[in-house]
Amino acid sequence: MTINTEFMIQTFFDVLAGIPVTLELTFITLLLSFPIAFFMALQKLEKKKVSGKIVSGYVSFVRGTPVVLQILFLYSLLPTILNYLIKEILKLEFDIFSINPMIYAFVVFSLNTVAVLTEVFRSALLTVEHGQLEAALAIGLNKCQAYVRIIIPQAIVSALPNLCNATINLMKSTSLAFMMTVKDITAIAKVNAAFGYNYIEAYLVISVIYIILCTLVQLGYVAVERYFSSYKRFSTN
Amino acid sequence: MLEIRNVHKAFGSNQVLKGVNLKVNKGDIIVILGPSGSGKTTFLRTINFLEKADKGTIDFDDIHTELHSASNKTINRIRKKTAFVFQNYNLFANKTALENVTEGLIVARKVPKEEAIKCAKDALDKVGLSERYDYYPSQLSGGQQQRVGIARAIAVNPDVLLFDEPTSALDPELIGEVLSVMKKLAKEGATMIVVTHEMSFAQEVASRVVFMDGGVVVEEGTAKQIFTAPKEKRTEQFLRRIVRDYDYVI
Repeated sequence: MTINTEFMIQTFFDVLAGIPVTLELTFITLLLSFPIAFFMALQKLEKKKVSGKIVSGYVSFVRGTPVVLQILFLYSLLPTILNYLIKEILKLEFDIFSINPMIYAFVVFSLNTVAVLTEVFRSALLTVEHGQLEAALAIGLNKCQAYVRIIIPQAIVSALPNLCNATINLMKSTSLAFMMTVKDITAIAKVNAAFGYNYIEAYLVISVIYIILCTLVQLGYVAVERYFSSYKRFSTN
Repeated sequence: MLEIRNVHKAFGSNQVLKGVNLKVNKGDIIVILGPSGSGKTTFLRTINFLEKADKGTIDFDDIHTELHSASNKTINRIRKKTAFVFQNYNLFANKTALENVTEGLIVARKVPKEEAIKCAKDALDKVGLSERYDYYPSQLSGGQQQRVGIARAIAVNPDVLLFDEPTSALDPELIGEVLSVMKKLAKEGATMIVVTHEMSFAQEVASRVVFMDGGVVVEEGTAKQIFTAPKEKRTEQFLRRIVRDYDYVI
């Protein structure tokens, strides 16, 4: 067996077109998930009985099922059910199958990321002693000001390593988007490989690309962490 | 000026406060003593609603409210008239000493920034930290942190200062610096309610000593009365255990 280097170079340039899609999937999903996850983490922390239970149930459901399964459910089963509902029951002229598969991808990955980030935020908020919140309230700040000015800036610092992890995991799991016919890095590589059965070459190429992307994300997080933890830098004890 | 009546508070089935009353006049230095578990810290915390009492009323100048049903607006008004010094300082770790003090002025009271910084520097100077404006809490010793805590409290010029065991988390050698700051404030006429185990502080500066046990005020009087001629047996027992040379005081 020989490695087809010409194919690899060609594929490398073809796959570059998929990078924006992968980045879009990753970062738009993160942006969508951030506020929701933060709100859900607060529900768990504030010991609100009903909403806290719902959040816990949701988190353990999502964490307990593989992403592949979630994609299969959402992308295969859901449109069929919705189509039946729209056509047979509501009698509407709307083609559910014409929806951009990217939308499904955003939904699946967001459902997943929200659950992951809820736990990240919850543990991060717990690292800031409750006393600081009390002190902020005692000097007359309201709860919102106390969170924005005192609690969250500190929680972010301890959340960053886990956020970095979550981002990288998300970026890697977006490679499953090909199952939803989204043309991301992995999908393009698979299509290219299928012509001449050059799977090994194609996979090698995208491995390198994923490694580069993930390294860039990590470097980004290191920079952000350095910026936010300036108050810890001079720590003597 | 401040009167709190009939405060009840339970944590689950544990009835911590069973009807506590306290009247505070301007310039009073009230020291609350009592064994641990007597509810003194909980009582102090109900005054500025860090702990929500189950029952009781508060009169604070023109504010009158039930403790358990106070609106957020009333709570915020009372919090702005008081300041709290915590046992474990609770300084904002992401802010410098100066920012810790200006926070309540700029954000909560909308004081212009320059004026707030001046106020904060005055407060920090008063507690002897004029060299430490730009230090983060993690760079300060326990005693210095607690003095920043006190500066944060006095900078907002509160009507009443609440101290919750301000020296309990400190090394013995650092207690003195905090107590001397508190004594200085007392001499300048601040109104203070202090929960403490520092008997010397109580004897020296308290205008009134309140002895609590089992969720009620057992006895109340001047420092001299309480320390030399307690009326209640429980007060005497407590003092005998805590004050080493109590017998000689009598």
